[in-house]
Amino acid sequence: MTMRKIGGAQALAAAGLLAGTLAAAADNGGKLQIAIDSAPAGLDPHLITAFNSVVVVQNTIYEGLTAIDQDLSVVPGLAENWEVSDDGLTYTFTLAEGVTFHDGSEFTAEDVAASIERVQAEKTGSPLASRVSPIIETEIVGPNEIVFKLEEPFAPILSSLATIAIVPSEYEDDVDSLQQEPVGTGPFAFSEWQPNSYIELTRFEDYREDGKPHLDAARFNFVPESATRQVGIQAGDYHLLPGLDPATALQLQGQPNVTVQETRDLSYTLIGMNTTREPFDKAEVRTAFNMLLDRQEIIDGALFGAGIPAGPLSPALVNWALDASEFACYETDREGAMEMLEEAGVETPVKLTMNVLPRQDTRDIAQIVQQQVAGAFEIELLNQEIGQFVQDWRNSDFDLFVSANGGSPDPDEYFYRTFYGGGSTNVFGYDDSSVDELLDAGRREREYADRKSIYDQLQRKLACEGPIAHLAYGNLYTAVSDEVDGFEIYANMRLRSLADVTLAQ
Amino acid sequence: MIPFLKQNRLLSFAFGFVVLQVLLAGFAPLLAPYDPFNQVMAERMQGPSMLHWLGTDQLGRDVLARILFGYRTSLLTCGTAVLIALVLGGTLGMLAAYYKGWFDRIVMRLMDVLFAFPILLLAIGIIAILGPSTWSAAFAIAIVYTPIFARLLRGPALVICESEYAMGARAIGASDARIIFAHILPNLSSVLLVQTSLLLSAAILVEASLSFLGLGAQPPVPSLGLMLSEGRNFLMLSPWPAIFAGFAILFLSFGFNLLGDALRDTLDPRLRGQEA
Amino acid sequence: MQSRFILNRLVDLLFVLFGVSIVVFLMIRLIPGDAVAIMLGANTDITPERVAELRARLGLDQPFYMQYLDWIGGIFRGDFGTSVWTGRPVATEIAAHVWPTLELTLLSVLVGAGLSIPIGCFMAEARGRSSEVAVRIGAIAGLTIPSFWLGIVSIFLVSKLLPGVSALGYVPFTEDPLGNLQRMILPVIALSLPMLANLSRLVRSAMLDALGQDYIRTARAKGAGHRRLIYKHALRNALIPFITSVGVLTGYMLGGAIVVEQVFAIPGLGRLVLGAISERNYPLVQATILVMTFAFVFVNFLVDLLYAVIDPRVARK
Repeated sequence: MTMRKIGGAQALAAAGLLAGTLAAAADNGGKLQIAIDSAPAGLDPHLITAFNSVVVVQNTIYEGLTAIDQDLSVVPGLAENWEVSDDGLTYTFTLAEGVTFHDGSEFTAEDVAASIERVQAEKTGSPLASRVSPIIETEIVGPNEIVFKLEEPFAPILSSLATIAIVPSEYEDDVDSLQQEPVGTGPFAFSEWQPNSYIELTRFEDYREDGKPHLDAARFNFVPESATRQVGIQAGDYHLLPGLDPATALQLQGQPNVTVQETRDLSYTLIGMNTTREPFDKAEVRTAFNMLLDRQEIIDGALFGAGIPAGPLSPALVNWALDASEFACYETDREGAMEMLEEAGVETPVKLTMNVLPRQDTRDIAQIVQQQVAGAFEIELLNQEIGQFVQDWRNSDFDLFVSANGGSPDPDEYFYRTFYGGGSTNVFGYDDSSVDELLDAGRREREYADRKSIYDQLQRKLACEGPIAHLAYGNLYTAVSDEVDGFEIYANMRLRSLADVTLAQ
Repeated sequence: MIPFLKQNRLLSFAFGFVVLQVLLAGFAPLLAPYDPFNQVMAERMQGPSMLHWLGTDQLGRDVLARILFGYRTSLLTCGTAVLIALVLGGTLGMLAAYYKGWFDRIVMRLMDVLFAFPILLLAIGIIAILGPSTWSAAFAIAIVYTPIFARLLRGPALVICESEYAMGARAIGASDARIIFAHILPNLSSVLLVQTSLLLSAAILVEASLSFLGLGAQPPVPSLGLMLSEGRNFLMLSPWPAIFAGFAILFLSFGFNLLGDALRDTLDPRLRGQEA
Repeated sequence: MQSRFILNRLVDLLFVLFGVSIVVFLMIRLIPGDAVAIMLGANTDITPERVAELRARLGLDQPFYMQYLDWIGGIFRGDFGTSVWTGRPVATEIAAHVWPTLELTLLSVLVGAGLSIPIGCFMAEARGRSSEVAVRIGAIAGLTIPSFWLGIVSIFLVSKLLPGVSALGYVPFTEDPLGNLQRMILPVIALSLPMLANLSRLVRSAMLDALGQDYIRTARAKGAGHRRLIYKHALRNALIPFITSVGVLTGYMLGGAIVVEQVFAIPGLGRLVLGAISERNYPLVQATILVMTFAFVFVNFLVDLLYAVIDPRVARK
C-alpha cells in the first residue's frame, strides 16, 4: 500500500497505524522490538550526527547511492553501478529503476541532484557538507542517470556517498519537516513517534527489493537504564539492543536466549590538545603527553577491557590502519616523558583544565588520565554539560578535552577536516604545512599503494605529534534475542541487515 | 542537652548515631584505609574482602574510603546549605514579623513564590544556571529551604513580638536588634533545633538526588549520590558500590531525622504529631 | 465570610502564579549556552546566517520582556510554543507525558494514603509495647530511604531473581493494561514509601490524641466496641491533618517522580523536563516546569479550600 503524506503528525500516525494493521493481515512478519538508550534528537538524515538518530533512519528509512558492507567496502545502493573517468573527475551513476519513495512519488535522478544540493546548501547547515564539497556540478542525463563533476580527484567520494541519504526533491529547501517525518526509499517507512517512548517504522510494501523486508514493523523503544534493557531482552520484551555498553554486554554474554554480536568500533575516544596554548604548542609536549598514558589501563578501567589501543585510524579500516605498536610514543615511559618535558623547557607540574564530555566512559577516562599524568600535569576536570562542552569545543576554548568521535570508512574523511590547517573540525589550531601537503596528495592520488604510503606517513606523524592523543577503539555490541534470525552487526552502526531479519513466532 | 539524654533512650541513641557519623566524616583522613582518589586497575570492581572491607569501584578505588569522604562531602554541602537557609530565611522571617506592613507582605509573597515550586524542580533549575558542582547544589538547597525557615520563624516571632515582655523591652528603649536577638530568638531555639535536624535529613536526600542526576558533585569528588549513579552503570557486574553508597545515604539521613523526631518529643511535647 | 476567604486565597494564588512564571522564565534565560549552539551540535559547517535565522525563529533575538510577553500571551491563547527539537506544539508534548506521571502519582497516593490508615492504627495500638520503637524507627527509615536507591536495588534484585518477569520499563495502559500495572509496582513502591511513612505517623499520633480525649473515654465508658470506637471517632478527628498532609505530600511526590521516572524509564513529565534542560529546549522546559509547579500550587490551593469546608473556623481566622 502507499502512504500519501497528509501532513500533521496525527494524520500520519493514523495512516501508520492503518498501514500496520493492513500489513499484518498480508504477511505475518511480526514487530521487532528494539531498545535504545534515548530518543533521537531528530530524524533528518542530512542534519543528524548522534548514534540514536543514525541507527533509526540510516539504511532503514533512507538509502544512499552507495552502501558500506560489513567489511567496510563500498557496494551499490540506489545506484546500481557507476563509472569513473580516467582523470577521476567525472562519476557517472546508473540508478535503480522502479524505486518509489514512501510517499508514493517516483525516485529519479532529480532527487539525487536535489539531495546533494540540500547537503551542500549553507542554509541547511549539514554536518555532512564536507563529504560532498568536492562535487562542483551535478548533471541529470536521464531519469536514471546522473553525472557528478569533481573539482579535483577525491578518492573517498564513493564511501562518502553512502552517508548521504537520498530524499525527495521537494524537501530541498525544507529543513524542518524531515526532522519529524522522514520520507525515504528504504525498506521501512516512518509511522509514529511517541516522544520519550518509542519510534515505530512499518514495512514499506513497495520496497525495491522484492520480498523484503520480512518484518511488519520495527519499534525503537527508548529505555535509558541499561539494567532495564538487559532485563527486558531476557524477559522477551525486546529483541534487539544495538549500541550496547560493554558492562551490559559482558553481563549478557552466555545468557540463555540471547546472543551478543560484536565488532570493532569505528569510533574512538580521544584527548584533544589546544596547540595554540602553552605548553601544547610544542610538539615534544604532545609526544610526552602520549608517553605518560597507559592505554591498556584506560581500556581496562573505562571500557571494561573491551577495546584496543587506538592509532589515528581504526583497525576496522583493514586496508589503511597501522597497528598501534608502530607508534613509539605509545610505550608508557614516565622518565622519558619527564626528560622530554624538561628539555622542552616546561616547568612541571603544569596546571591545566580538561573539559569532559558527559558520558560515563569519557568521565572514567578523564579520572584515569588525571592520575596517569599526575606529576607532569596537574589536571582539573571540568565535567560539562553537553551544550557547554560543544560550545567550548567549537570556540577552541579548552586546554585539553576528552571526548569520543565517530569514525569514517575512508582515512581522508577524518584526517582532512581535522588536521588540515583551518580544517572544518580543526578546533585545535593545528597547522603543519608538511601535514597539509600530505593531505592534499592523499586526495589527489587514486592508486591504492600510493595513497596507502601517504596515509602511513600521516599516521606516524599524527599519532605522536598531532593535536589528538587517540586513546582506544571500543567494541561495538548488539544483543540479539534468539527469536531473531538474519541480523548482522555493522561496524558503522547501521542496522542495514534489518531488511533481512525474520522473527520466530 | 546532656540531661535529656539520660531521660530518653531514643534521643540518646539518635544523638549517638549522628555524632558517630559526624566523627567518621571528620576523621575520614585518619580512618580511611586508602586514599579515596587512588586507582588500582588490577583491583577493579571487587566485592567486600579483608583488604577492601566494602569492595572497590570501577576504577579500583576503595569504596569504604570513598564513603567516609563522601560523608564529608554530604555533611559539608548540606550543613552549609541549611545554615545559609537558616540565617537567610530566619532573618527574613523575623524581620517580617517584627516590621510587619508592606515589608512583611513583599517578603512573604516572595517566599510563597519560591515555596510554590516542588523542591527538586527548583533546585534543578538553579543548578542549570550555575552549572553542576557541589557548591551549586549547596546554594540550590539553601535557596529552596530559605522560605521554609522564613515561614517557620515568622509565625512564632509574630506571637512573641506581641507578647508583653517584648512590648516591655521596647518600652524601656531596647533596640530592634536587641529585642530580636535577646528576646525573640532564644524563645524559638527549640523549634529551630528540631527543624534544622529534620531539614538536614531531607537536605541529605536532596543533595544525593542531585548528585545522582549528575547535577551535584562531579568526579572525581567522593560523593555518595555520585557513587550510586556511577555504580548503577555496572550494577550487574558489581553491585557493591551502589548498594553501600545507598546505605550510607540512608544512615546519614535517618540519623538526623530520628534526632529531630526525638528532640521534638523531648523539647516540646505539644509539637508531637505535627509533621515537618 | 467563606467567599471572602476564597477570594483572598485566589488573589494569593494569582500572585504566586505570576511570580512563578517570572521565576521560570528568568531561570531559563540565565542558563549559560543557548539552544542554537546545542541544536547545531558538533556541526562545523554552520554559518552565522544560519545561527541568526534560528535565533530569530526561536524568538531569542528579542529583548527579554518581549519574549516574556509573547510567551505569556501565547499561554492565554492555549499556545505554549513549539518544541525546538521535534517541532511539535509544546502542549502536545506535555500532553503525551502527563499520563504516565499522573498514573504513577495517583497510584502512589492511593497506596501511600490507603495503607497508612491500618498501619497508623496498628502503630497506635502498639503504643507502650516494646515494638513501638521498632515501628517508629521503621517509619523514619521509610521517610529517609532514597527512592532512587530503592529503585536501583529492586531493578538489581528483579534481574537476578526474576529475570523472566516483565517488571521494568513502561508500556502504555491503553496498549497492555496488565503489563502496564505490572511494571508500575516497583516505581509505585519507591515513590509511595515516604508518604506512607509520613501519614502512618500522623494517623498514629492523631489516634493517640483522640484516645486521650474526653469524648472517647465517655464512649468507651458507655460500652461502645473498642475497634468501632477507634475508627469512628478518632479517624474523623484525624481527617483534617490527614487531608492537609495528603495534599502537601502529593505535591512533593511530583518532585520525587522526577527521579523515580528517571530510574524506571517512565516517559513522564520528570523525564521530559530533565531531557529538555539538557538539550536547552527553552519552550519545552519553561512550559513543563510551569505546568508541574501550577499543579503543585493548585493541589495546595484545593487542600486549603477543602480545609475550609471541613473546618469553617479556618476560613474565619
